[in-house]
Amino acid sequence: MSTQSISTASAGAFSVSGLMIVVASELAGAAFLREFLLAEDWRYVVALLAAFGVALVVMQSVPAIERRIENAFAAQRRAATIVAVLLVFAFPFALGGNTYALHLCVIAQLYAVLALALNFQLGSANIPNFATGASYGIGAYASALLALNFGVSFWLALPAAAIVATLSGFLLGLPSMRTRDSYLALVTIAFGVVVHQLLNNLEFTGGPNGLVGIPVPELFGHSFASPLVIFGVQLPSQANFYYLSAVLVAISILFAGRLHNSRVGLAWNALRADDLAARCQGINTTWYKVLAFAVDAFLAGFAGTIYAFYVGYISPDNFTFLVSVTIMTMVIAGGMDNILGVIVGAFLLTLLPEKLRAFSDYRILFFGVTVIAFLMIRPQGIFPQRLRRYGGH
Amino acid sequence: MEAPVVLSGEGLTMRFGGIVAMAEVSFELRRGEILGIIGPNGAGKSTLLNIVTGIYRPSSGEVWLEGERLNGIPSHRIVSRGIARTFQSSRLFTDLSVLDNVIIGRHSRTRSGVFDAIFRRGRADRELAESAAIAEELLKGVSRDLFDQRHRAAGELPQADRRRLEIARALASEPKVLLLDEPSSGMDDADTDALMDDIRAICAARPELSMMIIEHDMRLVAALPHRVMVLDYGQKLADGPYEEIRRIPRVQEAYLGRKAAQHA
Ligand SMILES: Nc1ncnc2c1ncn2[C@@H]1O[C@H](COP(=O)(O)OP(=O)(O)O)[C@@H](O)[C@H]1O
Ligand SMILES: [Mg+2]
Repeated sequence: MSTQSISTASAGAFSVSGLMIVVASELAGAAFLREFLLAEDWRYVVALLAAFGVALVVMQSVPAIERRIENAFAAQRRAATIVAVLLVFAFPFALGGNTYALHLCVIAQLYAVLALALNFQLGSANIPNFATGASYGIGAYASALLALNFGVSFWLALPAAAIVATLSGFLLGLPSMRTRDSYLALVTIAFGVVVHQLLNNLEFTGGPNGLVGIPVPELFGHSFASPLVIFGVQLPSQANFYYLSAVLVAISILFAGRLHNSRVGLAWNALRADDLAARCQGINTTWYKVLAFAVDAFLAGFAGTIYAFYVGYISPDNFTFLVSVTIMTMVIAGGMDNILGVIVGAFLLTLLPEKLRAFSDYRILFFGVTVIAFLMIRPQGIFPQRLRRYGGH
Repeated sequence: MEAPVVLSGEGLTMRFGGIVAMAEVSFELRRGEILGIIGPNGAGKSTLLNIVTGIYRPSSGEVWLEGERLNGIPSHRIVSRGIARTFQSSRLFTDLSVLDNVIIGRHSRTRSGVFDAIFRRGRADRELAESAAIAEELLKGVSRDLFDQRHRAAGELPQADRRRLEIARALASEPKVLLLDEPSSGMDDADTDALMDDIRAICAARPELSMMIIEHDMRLVAALPHRVMVLDYGQKLADGPYEEIRRIPRVQEAYLGRKAAQHA
């Protein structure tokens, strides 16, 4: 009897400390991000990076810590979500009206969506797609053209552009019915180049000058160009798009999580592991590959629309091959098929080049080195893929 | 036994460039029957399985399942028609859990797509939970030990358990016909005995299930199949009960003899 009471007591103690672990990790993450965003001195940035690196090394060398944190989050999912939502909501208030930091947050969140989108292919199904940047661009142009030519509002342009992007994703996926993976990578590269060239040369997309004067969205009479007042606190106008892109990230996480833990996610994982064996389990692997392209493009289309209406001006150079490579780097560095990892990768690789402006000429070199370093040191990424859990295991 | 024919091949020929891997092979498999397939390496045994499961398109000849022609039907649809298989060198989804492997085996018996997963979550989750429950039962049925390891990555399993898992995964599609390609390869005698017990238990629980087993281990071939087909250089040498085929001189020479010589 006494052992039983002890075990319930310790279970209770565990859940309390589990909650504490969850809250502490999320606060630490937010605080780290804030420091990183507000850091001016590149030496401080490097010091922060070093701290992050140390944390990673500790996690890798003492797996018990990692497991403890992981179990705490698994046991406290609801609390973890609520705390995360509160933190994301409160974050702009902690930036002290720094518009540049807020701007970086918007961009980082859009990249997080793009990385989550690509993760369906690269992470779940191991299909190399170098055209996510093109889908992003198609979404941006489709919505901007609708708004400029037909006066379609942002809220209608958003789903419309996502549909256009999805259709183009299907189109891009069609060759995967016939080509094998290494050739498929070439096909996607070609697709990206073709889209870029078309945007550059077509009359109605404005050629190299792109599209200007994309109207600012409004919601219930509130223009997204004006400052946002919450609880009497005035936030810069970027806060409008901060919250909008945060919602998109949340939706993407929801999509990603649900698909991962579904028959579709399992089918993608199966064809990633062994295409032939997957077919022999009844999986139509060509269809699932095309599907991964479509889902990728769908989310990228959303991100593109928000980007277009956020900056108000788009040109073909916003959607180059380099953008696709950047997104791919985020997925690889963050951790394939791990939602949190992909988001961390997106933030890190959006913010780092901005924070290390001194090296901005070496951006491509930087991405290349990052990918090679990760593939060599921690090939599974910052947060590696996890086995699925069923019923608390 | 005169149960109805479930699966049959007629005049199956398979050419790879100049090589004739299979020449005019016909066979029949009846409901509830176990057909053993033996023959030296390169005889065309695996090729036959690949033809039946739609991985290879035969150069000529036809495959029939319960009166329906299977030629030209893609592999993934053949599974839903009721033919499941294992592979000679096991092809598990090594980075997924044991349980996930079996759940994926139920792909052809489940329906949820992207739309269900996102917007009709209850329905998709229910289907997945049901698949998980069936998968757990299957694992228990195949081996208690495997069931206890269901949350481990499949790649961490020892060889014998991998074979068992592949069989459980194949059974998850509720097949009418189960094709096993050298299930005992890489197993020692004790493991093979356990495998034979597993197969007997599987058949006892599913009297309607028909099986084709490619095998090298003569103890298994002597004990399990109702009938044995001998292939050599892509041709069918003999087809009959083990007691009959083992007496045919050409069979002894082509296969049993050589095998016996290897064992000596
Ligand atoms: N995809 C293929 N391409 C070329 N030759 C093949 C292919 N598959 C099988 N073969 C050839 O067909 C013959 C039979 O092979 P297989 O069916 O694997 O033999 P078994 O399973 O009886 O050992 C071998 O000569 C093999 O080299
Ligand atoms: Mg073989």
